[in-house]
Amino acid sequence: MYELLRDVLVTKIKVRYPANLTPETTRQQAGLDSLAIVELSMILERDLNLPVTDDDLFQAETLGDMAALMEAASKRSGRE
Amino acid sequence: VTGEGAAVLCGVGSWLPPREVSNAELCTRLETSDEWISTRTGIRSRRKANPGTSTSDLAVMAGARALADADAEHVDMVVLATSTPDRLIPVGAPEVASRLGLGRVAAFDLVAGCCGFLYAVAAAAAMIGSGIAGSALVIGAETLSSIVDPDDRQTAPLLGDGAGAVVLRTGVDAAPGSLTSCVLAADGTQSDLIAMAAGGSRRRFSGNQADYFVSMRGREVFRSAVDRMAEAVRSAAEAACWSLGDIDRILVHQANARIVQALAMALDLDLGRLPSNIDRVGNTGAASIPILLDEASSTGVLVPGHRVVLTAFGGGTTWAALALTWPDLSPIRGGTDVRAP
Repeated sequence: MYELLRDVLVTKIKVRYPANLTPETTRQQAGLDSLAIVELSMILERDLNLPVTDDDLFQAETLGDMAALMEAASKRSGRE
Repeated sequence: VTGEGAAVLCGVGSWLPPREVSNAELCTRLETSDEWISTRTGIRSRRKANPGTSTSDLAVMAGARALADADAEHVDMVVLATSTPDRLIPVGAPEVASRLGLGRVAAFDLVAGCCGFLYAVAAAAAMIGSGIAGSALVIGAETLSSIVDPDDRQTAPLLGDGAGAVVLRTGVDAAPGSLTSCVLAADGTQSDLIAMAAGGSRRRFSGNQADYFVSMRGREVFRSAVDRMAEAVRSAAEAACWSLGDIDRILVHQANARIVQALAMALDLDLGRLPSNIDRVGNTGAASIPILLDEASSTGVLVPGHRVVLTAFGGGTTWAALALTWPDLSPIRGGTDVRAP
Protein backbone atom coordinates (compact mmCIF):
# COMPACT_ATOMS: atom_id res chain seq x y z
CA MET A 1 0.00 0.00 0.00
CA TYR A 2 2.94 2.33 0.66
CA GLU A 3 4.01 2.02 -3.00
CA LEU A 4 0.50 3.04 -4.10
CA LEU A 5 0.62 6.06 -1.77
CA ARG A 6 4.06 6.97 -3.04
CA ASP A 7 2.82 6.76 -6.63
CA VAL A 8 -0.10 9.12 -5.86
CA LEU A 9 2.21 11.57 -4.08
CA VAL A 10 4.64 11.62 -7.00
CA THR A 11 2.30 11.54 -10.02
CA LYS A 12 -0.81 13.35 -8.72
CA ILE A 13 0.20 15.51 -5.76
CA LYS A 14 3.60 16.12 -7.37
CA VAL A 15 5.65 16.41 -4.17
CA ARG A 16 8.81 18.42 -4.63
CA TYR A 17 11.48 15.84 -3.67
CA PRO A 18 10.11 12.41 -4.70
CA ALA A 19 13.50 10.69 -4.33
CA ASN A 20 13.53 11.43 -0.59
CA LEU A 21 10.25 9.65 0.25
CA THR A 22 10.34 6.62 2.56
CA PRO A 23 7.71 5.07 4.88
CA GLU A 24 9.42 6.97 7.74
CA THR A 25 9.08 10.38 6.01
CA THR A 26 6.83 12.71 8.00
CA ARG A 27 4.02 14.78 6.50
CA GLN A 28 6.08 17.95 6.93
CA GLN A 29 9.22 16.39 5.43
CA ALA A 30 7.18 15.30 2.41
CA GLY A 31 6.02 18.91 2.03
CA LEU A 32 2.35 18.00 2.40
CA ASP A 33 0.47 21.12 3.52
CA SER A 34 -3.18 21.11 4.62
CA LEU A 35 -4.59 21.43 1.10
CA ALA A 36 -2.34 18.64 -0.17
CA ILE A 37 -3.80 16.37 2.54
CA VAL A 38 -7.33 17.24 1.39
CA GLU A 39 -6.31 16.56 -2.22
CA LEU A 40 -4.79 13.24 -1.20
CA SER A 41 -7.97 12.26 0.64
CA MET A 42 -10.08 13.18 -2.41
CA ILE A 43 -7.85 11.22 -4.82
CA LEU A 44 -7.80 8.14 -2.57
CA GLU A 45 -11.57 8.09 -2.40
CA ARG A 46 -12.37 9.11 -5.99
CA ASP A 47 -9.71 7.24 -7.97
CA LEU A 48 -8.80 4.31 -5.70
CA ASN A 49 -12.01 3.72 -3.73
CA LEU A 50 -10.08 4.08 -0.46
CA PRO A 51 -12.12 6.40 1.76
CA VAL A 52 -9.69 7.95 4.28
CA THR A 53 -10.72 11.31 5.75
CA ASP A 54 -8.34 14.27 5.69
CA ASP A 55 -8.74 14.46 9.49
CA ASP A 56 -7.37 10.91 9.77
CA LEU A 57 -4.55 11.66 7.34
CA PHE A 58 -3.65 14.69 9.44
CA GLN A 59 -3.27 12.49 12.52
CA ALA A 60 -0.85 10.18 10.71
CA GLU A 61 2.74 11.04 11.56
CA THR A 62 4.50 9.32 8.68
CA LEU A 63 3.77 8.11 5.16
CA GLY A 64 3.86 4.57 6.56
CA ASP A 65 1.05 5.51 8.96
CA MET A 66 -0.94 6.91 6.03
CA ALA A 67 -0.43 3.68 4.11
CA ALA A 68 -1.77 1.79 7.15
CA LEU A 69 -4.93 3.94 7.02
CA MET A 70 -5.29 3.07 3.34
CA GLU A 71 -4.84 -0.62 4.18
CA ALA A 72 -7.62 -0.38 6.79
CA ALA A 73 -9.90 1.43 4.30
CA SER A 74 -9.23 -1.27 1.74
CA LYS A 75 -10.21 -3.99 4.22
CA ARG A 76 -13.34 -2.05 5.22
CA SER A 77 -14.49 -1.67 1.62
CA GLY A 78 -13.64 -5.34 0.97
CA ARG A 79 -16.03 -6.37 3.77
CA GLU A 80 -18.92 -4.25 2.48
CA VAL B 1 -32.40 29.81 -21.13
CA THR B 2 -33.28 29.30 -24.75
CA GLY B 3 -36.23 29.91 -26.99
CA GLU B 4 -37.54 33.13 -28.54
CA GLY B 5 -35.39 36.13 -27.70
CA ALA B 6 -32.47 34.34 -26.12
CA ALA B 7 -29.97 36.50 -24.23
CA VAL B 8 -26.66 36.91 -26.06
CA LEU B 9 -23.41 38.16 -24.54
CA CYS B 10 -22.22 41.12 -26.60
CA GLY B 11 -19.65 42.98 -24.49
CA VAL B 12 -17.21 42.48 -21.64
CA GLY B 13 -15.07 44.82 -19.55
CA SER B 14 -13.22 44.98 -16.26
CA TRP B 15 -11.39 47.35 -14.00
CA LEU B 16 -8.80 46.76 -11.30
CA PRO B 17 -7.70 49.39 -8.82
CA PRO B 18 -4.12 50.36 -9.69
CA ARG B 19 -2.57 49.72 -6.28
CA GLU B 20 -0.80 46.35 -6.23
CA VAL B 21 -0.08 44.58 -2.96
CA SER B 22 2.72 42.03 -3.29
CA ASN B 23 3.27 39.01 -1.07
CA ALA B 24 6.41 40.73 0.21
CA GLU B 25 4.33 43.70 1.38
CA LEU B 26 1.82 41.41 3.14
CA CYS B 27 4.69 39.62 4.86
CA THR B 28 5.76 42.79 6.64
CA ARG B 29 2.60 42.33 8.74
CA LEU B 30 1.79 38.61 8.53
CA GLU B 31 4.15 35.99 9.89
CA THR B 32 4.56 34.21 6.60
CA SER B 33 6.64 34.23 3.44
CA ASP B 34 6.22 34.83 -0.28
CA GLU B 35 6.85 31.11 -0.80
CA TRP B 36 4.27 30.06 1.83
CA ILE B 37 1.60 32.20 0.15
CA SER B 38 2.44 31.37 -3.46
CA THR B 39 2.71 27.60 -2.98
CA ARG B 40 -0.59 27.44 -1.05
CA THR B 41 -2.60 29.84 -3.19
CA GLY B 42 -0.80 30.55 -6.46
CA ILE B 43 -1.11 34.26 -5.66
CA ARG B 44 1.84 36.67 -6.01
CA SER B 45 0.00 39.98 -5.83
CA ARG B 46 -3.51 41.35 -5.58
CA ARG B 47 -5.12 44.77 -6.07
CA LYS B 48 -6.43 46.98 -3.30
CA ALA B 49 -8.84 49.88 -3.56
CA ASN B 50 -7.65 53.13 -2.00
CA PRO B 51 -9.44 54.32 1.14
CA GLY B 52 -12.62 56.05 0.03
CA THR B 53 -12.99 53.93 -3.08
CA SER B 54 -16.02 51.66 -2.80
CA THR B 55 -17.52 48.75 -4.67
CA SER B 56 -19.81 51.01 -6.70
CA ASP B 57 -16.78 52.99 -7.92
CA LEU B 58 -15.21 49.81 -9.24
CA ALA B 59 -18.56 48.70 -10.70
CA VAL B 60 -18.99 51.96 -12.62
CA MET B 61 -15.53 51.62 -14.19
CA ALA B 62 -16.06 48.00 -15.26
CA GLY B 63 -19.63 48.73 -16.40
CA ALA B 64 -18.49 51.62 -18.60
CA ARG B 65 -15.92 49.42 -20.28
CA ALA B 66 -18.42 46.63 -20.93
CA LEU B 67 -20.92 49.10 -22.39
CA ALA B 68 -18.19 50.53 -24.64
CA ASP B 69 -17.18 47.04 -25.70
CA ALA B 70 -20.79 46.27 -26.63
CA ASP B 71 -21.10 49.68 -28.33
CA ALA B 72 -24.21 50.15 -26.19
CA GLU B 73 -25.33 53.54 -24.92
CA HIS B 74 -28.37 52.14 -23.19
CA VAL B 75 -29.46 48.95 -21.45
CA ASP B 76 -32.82 48.13 -19.84
CA MET B 77 -31.44 46.77 -16.60
CA VAL B 78 -28.39 46.76 -14.32
CA VAL B 79 -27.64 43.84 -12.02
CA LEU B 80 -24.81 44.20 -9.52
CA ALA B 81 -23.46 41.01 -7.96
CA THR B 82 -21.50 41.71 -4.80
CA SER B 83 -20.99 40.59 -1.22
CA THR B 84 -19.34 43.89 -0.29
CA PRO B 85 -21.93 46.60 -1.07
CA ASP B 86 -21.16 50.25 -0.31
CA ARG B 87 -23.86 50.17 2.37
CA LEU B 88 -26.52 47.65 3.49
CA ILE B 89 -29.17 50.16 2.42
CA PRO B 90 -29.67 51.26 -0.30
CA VAL B 91 -28.89 48.68 -2.96
CA GLY B 92 -25.95 49.80 -5.07
CA ALA B 93 -27.09 49.05 -8.63
CA PRO B 94 -29.38 52.11 -9.01
CA GLU B 95 -26.51 54.47 -8.16
CA VAL B 96 -24.21 52.59 -10.55
CA ALA B 97 -26.84 52.84 -13.31
CA SER B 98 -27.28 56.53 -12.64
CA ARG B 99 -23.54 57.26 -12.68
CA LEU B 100 -23.27 55.38 -15.96
CA GLY B 101 -25.86 57.74 -17.45
CA LEU B 102 -28.43 54.98 -17.87
CA GLY B 103 -31.25 56.95 -16.23
CA ARG B 104 -34.11 55.21 -14.46
CA VAL B 105 -33.59 51.68 -15.68
CA ALA B 106 -34.39 48.67 -13.49
CA ALA B 107 -31.48 48.00 -11.16
CA PHE B 108 -30.88 45.60 -8.31
CA ASP B 109 -28.12 43.86 -6.38
CA LEU B 110 -27.78 40.11 -6.24
CA VAL B 111 -25.94 38.29 -3.46
CA ALA B 112 -24.80 34.72 -4.03
CA GLY B 113 -21.25 34.85 -2.67
CA CYS B 114 -18.51 34.15 -5.17
CA CYS B 115 -21.21 32.67 -7.45
CA GLY B 116 -23.01 36.00 -7.58
CA PHE B 117 -21.94 36.92 -11.09
CA LEU B 118 -23.06 33.60 -12.59
CA TYR B 119 -26.40 33.74 -10.75
CA ALA B 120 -26.81 37.34 -11.97
CA VAL B 121 -26.11 36.38 -15.60
CA ALA B 122 -28.62 33.55 -15.30
CA ALA B 123 -31.26 35.89 -13.81
CA ALA B 124 -30.68 38.60 -16.43
CA ALA B 125 -30.67 36.07 -19.27
CA ALA B 126 -33.96 34.61 -18.03
CA MET B 127 -35.52 38.09 -17.86
CA ILE B 128 -34.34 38.84 -21.38
CA GLY B 129 -35.57 35.47 -22.59
CA SER B 130 -39.02 36.11 -21.11
CA GLY B 131 -39.27 39.64 -22.50
CA ILE B 132 -39.04 41.54 -19.20
CA ALA B 133 -35.92 43.32 -20.47
CA GLY B 134 -34.30 43.65 -23.87
CA SER B 135 -30.78 44.11 -22.57
CA ALA B 136 -28.85 44.09 -19.32
CA LEU B 137 -25.54 45.14 -17.84
CA VAL B 138 -24.40 42.49 -15.36
CA ILE B 139 -21.57 43.53 -13.06
CA GLY B 140 -19.56 41.59 -10.49
CA ALA B 141 -17.70 43.96 -8.16
CA GLU B 142 -16.02 43.51 -4.80
CA THR B 143 -13.99 45.47 -2.31
CA LEU B 144 -13.02 42.38 -0.32
CA SER B 145 -10.20 44.32 1.34
CA SER B 146 -12.97 45.96 3.41
CA ILE B 147 -13.91 42.66 5.10
CA VAL B 148 -10.52 40.96 5.37
CA ASP B 149 -8.64 40.63 8.64
CA PRO B 150 -5.15 41.95 7.81
CA ASP B 151 -3.72 39.63 10.48
CA ASP B 152 -5.41 36.45 9.23
CA ARG B 153 -2.90 34.37 7.31
CA GLN B 154 -5.69 32.27 5.83
CA THR B 155 -7.71 35.04 4.18
CA ALA B 156 -5.50 38.16 3.92
CA PRO B 157 -3.24 36.76 1.18
CA LEU B 158 -6.22 35.45 -0.82
CA LEU B 159 -8.62 38.32 -1.23
CA GLY B 160 -8.39 41.24 -3.62
CA ASP B 161 -10.51 44.05 -5.08
CA GLY B 162 -11.82 44.52 -8.63
CA ALA B 163 -14.80 44.50 -10.96
CA GLY B 164 -15.87 42.94 -14.23
CA ALA B 165 -19.02 43.19 -16.32
CA VAL B 166 -20.82 41.86 -19.37
CA VAL B 167 -23.63 43.19 -21.53
CA LEU B 168 -26.43 40.83 -22.58
CA ARG B 169 -29.05 41.61 -25.19
CA THR B 170 -31.85 39.88 -27.04
CA GLY B 171 -30.46 37.75 -29.82
CA VAL B 172 -31.02 34.65 -31.82
CA ASP B 173 -31.34 31.39 -29.94
CA ALA B 174 -28.22 29.22 -30.26
CA ALA B 175 -26.22 32.14 -31.70
CA PRO B 176 -22.66 32.50 -30.37
CA GLY B 177 -22.84 34.24 -26.98
CA SER B 178 -26.21 32.74 -26.01
CA LEU B 179 -26.32 30.56 -22.92
CA THR B 180 -26.39 26.96 -24.02
CA SER B 181 -27.00 25.59 -20.55
CA CYS B 182 -27.12 26.77 -16.98
CA VAL B 183 -26.73 24.88 -13.68
CA LEU B 184 -27.42 26.65 -10.38
CA ALA B 185 -27.36 25.01 -6.95
CA ALA B 186 -26.90 25.72 -3.24
CA ASP B 187 -26.51 23.91 0.09
CA GLY B 188 -27.60 25.83 3.19
CA THR B 189 -26.32 23.13 5.53
CA GLN B 190 -22.85 24.51 4.71
CA SER B 191 -23.72 28.08 5.70
CA ASP B 192 -20.80 28.33 8.15
CA LEU B 193 -18.07 27.40 5.66
CA ILE B 194 -17.55 31.01 4.58
CA ALA B 195 -19.11 33.56 6.90
CA MET B 196 -19.04 36.90 8.68
CA ALA B 197 -20.38 36.81 12.25
CA ALA B 198 -21.78 40.32 12.70
CA GLY B 199 -23.30 43.17 10.69
CA GLY B 200 -26.55 41.46 9.66
CA SER B 201 -29.90 41.08 11.44
CA ARG B 202 -28.82 38.05 13.47
CA ARG B 203 -26.10 40.05 15.20
CA ARG B 204 -26.19 43.69 14.25
CA PHE B 205 -23.41 44.99 16.50
CA SER B 206 -20.41 43.33 18.02
CA GLY B 207 -17.69 44.72 20.25
CA ASN B 208 -15.22 42.42 18.56
CA GLN B 209 -13.86 43.75 15.30
CA ALA B 210 -12.99 40.21 14.17
CA ASP B 211 -16.74 39.54 13.85
CA TYR B 212 -16.83 41.94 10.90
CA PHE B 213 -14.17 40.03 8.98
CA VAL B 214 -14.87 37.13 6.66
CA SER B 215 -13.74 33.75 7.95
CA MET B 216 -13.34 30.54 6.06
CA ARG B 217 -12.98 26.84 6.84
CA GLY B 218 -10.27 26.27 4.27
CA ARG B 219 -10.06 22.49 4.01
CA GLU B 220 -13.83 21.99 3.78
CA VAL B 221 -14.15 24.82 1.26
CA PHE B 222 -11.44 23.21 -0.87
CA ARG B 223 -13.11 19.81 -0.94
CA SER B 224 -16.62 21.11 -1.57
CA ALA B 225 -15.47 23.61 -4.19
CA VAL B 226 -13.72 20.95 -6.26
CA ASP B 227 -16.50 18.36 -5.92
CA ARG B 228 -19.39 20.75 -6.57
CA MET B 229 -17.77 22.58 -9.50
CA ALA B 230 -16.77 19.27 -11.12
CA GLU B 231 -20.37 18.10 -10.77
CA ALA B 232 -21.75 21.39 -12.16
CA VAL B 233 -19.36 21.44 -15.13
CA ARG B 234 -20.34 17.87 -16.01
CA SER B 235 -24.06 18.73 -15.78
CA ALA B 236 -23.70 21.93 -17.82
CA ALA B 237 -21.71 20.10 -20.52
CA GLU B 238 -24.23 17.28 -20.63
CA ALA B 239 -27.14 19.71 -20.92
CA ALA B 240 -25.29 21.44 -23.79
CA CYS B 241 -24.78 18.01 -25.46
CA TRP B 242 -21.00 18.45 -25.16
CA SER B 243 -18.55 15.87 -23.90
CA LEU B 244 -15.95 17.17 -21.45
CA GLY B 245 -13.41 16.87 -24.26
CA ASP B 246 -15.49 19.26 -26.39
CA ILE B 247 -14.96 22.10 -23.91
CA ASP B 248 -12.23 24.46 -25.14
CA ARG B 249 -12.01 26.63 -22.00
CA ILE B 250 -13.33 26.35 -18.45
CA LEU B 251 -13.19 29.68 -16.64
CA VAL B 252 -13.17 28.88 -12.95
CA HIS B 253 -13.79 31.32 -10.11
CA GLN B 254 -10.25 32.27 -9.11
CA ALA B 255 -10.45 31.25 -5.45
CA ASN B 256 -7.13 29.48 -5.19
CA ALA B 257 -4.83 28.11 -7.91
CA ARG B 258 -4.78 24.78 -6.11
CA ILE B 259 -8.57 24.48 -6.48
CA VAL B 260 -8.29 25.13 -10.22
CA GLN B 261 -5.56 22.46 -10.49
CA ALA B 262 -7.58 19.94 -8.46
CA LEU B 263 -10.66 20.64 -10.59
CA ALA B 264 -8.67 19.97 -13.79
CA MET B 265 -7.53 16.68 -12.25
CA ALA B 266 -11.06 15.73 -11.13
CA LEU B 267 -12.34 16.34 -14.67
CA ASP B 268 -9.25 14.71 -16.20
CA LEU B 269 -8.65 17.79 -18.36
CA ASP B 270 -5.39 19.49 -19.32
CA LEU B 271 -4.74 22.46 -17.01
CA GLY B 272 -4.11 24.58 -20.13
CA ARG B 273 -7.85 24.60 -20.79
CA LEU B 274 -8.47 26.30 -17.44
CA PRO B 275 -6.93 29.77 -17.81
CA SER B 276 -5.95 31.60 -14.65
CA ASN B 277 -5.03 35.12 -13.55
CA ILE B 278 -5.08 34.55 -9.80
CA ASP B 279 -1.32 35.09 -9.53
CA ARG B 280 -1.88 38.80 -10.29
CA VAL B 281 -5.39 39.55 -8.96
CA GLY B 282 -6.07 37.11 -6.12
CA ASN B 283 -9.59 36.04 -5.26
CA THR B 284 -11.97 38.86 -6.19
CA GLY B 285 -15.21 37.09 -5.23
CA ALA B 286 -18.14 37.79 -7.54
CA ALA B 287 -15.85 39.87 -9.77
CA SER B 288 -13.42 37.10 -10.54
CA ILE B 289 -15.11 35.46 -13.53
CA PRO B 290 -15.90 38.63 -15.51
CA ILE B 291 -12.36 39.94 -14.83
CA LEU B 292 -10.94 36.67 -16.15
CA LEU B 293 -13.37 36.71 -19.11
CA ASP B 294 -12.22 40.16 -20.12
CA GLU B 295 -8.55 39.27 -19.82
CA ALA B 296 -8.93 35.93 -21.64
CA SER B 297 -10.95 37.56 -24.41
CA SER B 298 -8.55 40.46 -24.95
CA THR B 299 -5.42 38.29 -24.90
CA GLY B 300 -6.73 35.64 -27.30
CA VAL B 301 -6.97 32.90 -24.68
CA LEU B 302 -10.66 32.90 -25.56
CA VAL B 303 -11.48 33.15 -29.26
CA PRO B 304 -14.81 33.27 -31.10
CA GLY B 305 -16.26 29.80 -31.47
CA HIS B 306 -14.66 28.41 -28.31
CA ARG B 307 -16.96 26.21 -26.28
CA VAL B 308 -16.75 27.74 -22.83
CA VAL B 309 -17.99 26.74 -19.38
CA LEU B 310 -17.96 29.27 -16.54
CA THR B 311 -18.07 27.81 -13.03
CA ALA B 312 -17.92 29.08 -9.46
CA PHE B 313 -18.39 28.02 -5.85
CA GLY B 314 -18.92 30.36 -2.93
CA GLY B 315 -20.34 31.12 0.49
CA GLY B 316 -23.87 29.94 1.17
CA THR B 317 -22.77 27.59 -0.11
CA THR B 318 -23.66 28.21 -3.75
CA TRP B 319 -22.29 26.82 -6.98
CA ALA B 320 -23.01 27.22 -10.67
CA ALA B 321 -21.89 26.45 -14.20
CA LEU B 322 -22.92 28.17 -17.44
CA ALA B 323 -22.06 26.95 -20.93
CA LEU B 324 -21.86 29.16 -23.99
CA THR B 325 -20.06 29.47 -27.31
CA TRP B 326 -17.78 32.50 -27.18
CA PRO B 327 -19.02 35.25 -29.52
CA ASP B 328 -17.10 37.58 -31.80
CA LEU B 329 -16.87 40.79 -29.76
CA SER B 330 -15.94 44.17 -31.14
CA PRO B 331 -12.26 45.09 -30.77
CA ILE B 332 -13.00 48.35 -28.91
CA ARG B 333 -11.14 48.16 -25.59
CA GLY B 334 -10.99 50.58 -22.73
CA GLY B 335 -12.74 53.46 -24.50
CA THR B 336 -14.51 55.28 -21.69
CA ASP B 337 -14.96 58.80 -20.47
CA VAL B 338 -15.51 57.73 -16.87
CA ARG B 339 -12.74 58.95 -14.60
CA ALA B 340 -10.95 56.50 -12.32
CA PRO B 341 -11.89 56.96 -8.66
